[in-house]
Amino acid sequence: MSRESQLEVQETYEREAAAVNPQSRTGSLLAIVIGLCLLLVVEIFLATCIGAVSMKPATVASVFLNRHAEALQTEKTIVFQIRLPRVLAAALVGCALSIAGVLFQGLFRNPMADPYVIGTQGGAALGATIGVVLMPHVSLLGFGATASLAFCFSLLTMVAVYWLARVGGRTPIVTLLLAGLALSTMLSYSTTFVVLLHPESDVAIRLLTTWLHGAVSNTEWSQIALVAVMVGVGALLSLLLTRSLNALCLGDDYAQQLGIRVELLRASIIVVGSLLTAAAVAIGGLIGFVGLVIPHLVRLLVGPDHVRLLPIAGLAGAVFLILADTLARTVLSPSELPVGILTAFVGGPVFLFLLRRNKREYAL
Amino acid sequence: MRTLLELRDITFSYGPQAIFDEVSFGVKEGERLAIIGRNGSGKTTLLRMAAGLLAPQQGTVFLDECALKKMRKRSIAQFVAFVPQQLFVPFEFTVEQLVSQGRTPYLRALHNLRTEDYAAITEAMSRTQITHLRHRIFNQLSGGEQQRVKIAIALAQQPKLLLLDEPTQHLDIGRQAEILELLLKLNREGVTIVAAIHDLHAVQQAFPKVALVHEQRVVQGTASTMLRPELLAQAFGLSSHAALPILRQAEYFSSEVEHI
Repeated sequence: MSRESQLEVQETYEREAAAVNPQSRTGSLLAIVIGLCLLLVVEIFLATCIGAVSMKPATVASVFLNRHAEALQTEKTIVFQIRLPRVLAAALVGCALSIAGVLFQGLFRNPMADPYVIGTQGGAALGATIGVVLMPHVSLLGFGATASLAFCFSLLTMVAVYWLARVGGRTPIVTLLLAGLALSTMLSYSTTFVVLLHPESDVAIRLLTTWLHGAVSNTEWSQIALVAVMVGVGALLSLLLTRSLNALCLGDDYAQQLGIRVELLRASIIVVGSLLTAAAVAIGGLIGFVGLVIPHLVRLLVGPDHVRLLPIAGLAGAVFLILADTLARTVLSPSELPVGILTAFVGGPVFLFLLRRNKREYAL
Repeated sequence: MRTLLELRDITFSYGPQAIFDEVSFGVKEGERLAIIGRNGSGKTTLLRMAAGLLAPQQGTVFLDECALKKMRKRSIAQFVAFVPQQLFVPFEFTVEQLVSQGRTPYLRALHNLRTEDYAAITEAMSRTQITHLRHRIFNQLSGGEQQRVKIAIALAQQPKLLLLDEPTQHLDIGRQAEILELLLKLNREGVTIVAAIHDLHAVQQAFPKVALVHEQRVVQGTASTMLRPELLAQAFGLSSHAALPILRQAEYFSSEVEHI
């Protein structure tokens, strides 16, 4: 190549590189994240106003700012003891399930991998149920038995699904769904069995009627604090994995030849995804399809790049579940629906749509 | 000229099936080398060992005289890029998003792409002439375009050594010629190229050096010494009479392409 033509080619490269402004891309992600955070704050405030006892936003604002404290004792109790814990619990559960969905979909290279569909939520539910029903006073590693057992069972289920569903470095829809279905069914009946060992207890009745269908009611601040730590740690670790997840989407060979330690990455995804699933199940029970619907919708809006997808999906999951839970407790007011029913109404059709769209691609 | 890649006394088997038995093999800087051989003879295995994706049971792989097993994964990825035969992308990644993944070995977790990364990505797309496709979805591209994108991902790694597994497979004659032309251009620009390739037409057209993989051995030489009817007949299980027309056809093909 002559010197002139080399210079010409170099100039073209530089011109094209200059046309791409890295700051603008980072800026747009930051703008979306800040926008979603603001939306989340507004939503938390409004959701706290809505309920069986309607409160004006001004009243709730006064409660938050601790104005007219003596005149608003009842409102203060409603806000801080009933509504705010529940709204925050919904946000944490939505965020955790959504991020877990993104992680599992990246791991399996399959947009249909969702903590509920592949059975990890079922595993966490069984662990949590054993903790609540059989060992209510036991604590593991300083944490309540519920959260610890939910994590252990979620992890075990994830490892089992991974082992069962992988075929030659890929995870075909058929093996993923069948392994998930079989494990979910076994775990679901095992959970019911554990509950029926103590049919007379109030906890067992509550588990059967609400929690196993997904509900964030009756959440205490101590539970929220524990789950917030789990979700916070899980979300931060997930952010560290985003770039590697992109590479993993191209397959093991590609990821490895791009400098990724694939086995370590897989183990990290399984542990972090299980932690997030366990956190969600510990206070929300079996809320299905959030980890499927939210990543799918966010992927449609911002594309599949995990660096953008994961934080946006986490925040969008929180926004979505607060909305769904607010609807669940107001649609048939004064009685309440388990929020899992609403997410199933939304998530089921999206799941079927994805199944239909992808069936040719995955040779179902 | 320094040796960029050396496989020294390599033994490798898949379970009971032996693939290589104390094989030695080297590639010098600036070379264009084709690896030929029967299906299942171990061409891809050779490339995967050179890229650090497979470890030999015995022997050592050296990259620029450094033992590969002692190198960090990132350092390997900055030195050698492997373009596999197939790329299945489960999500709707755009071409630019895929090419930017070639920068993974240069980035730390949570660090954004830097200006030099964008420059490398843009340059990789420009060199492979896919800049106009940058916002297109990879899965919607034609076979030839997808092959270019795969090469662009590898170029974004800024490797000294480019390994390709069947770069012209499933492409029509025009797209094959385009990919070979691209490899020639990249080689002229300083990238050392090793490709496992079935198509003897392509080998004659674009590769001055040839390595023949046969019966757990690798024989290496110039194209003129390696592409002899009797050698090919033995390696591919043909009679010499059958090998000759293939070579004649290959010669005709390559002169035709040059003429075009």
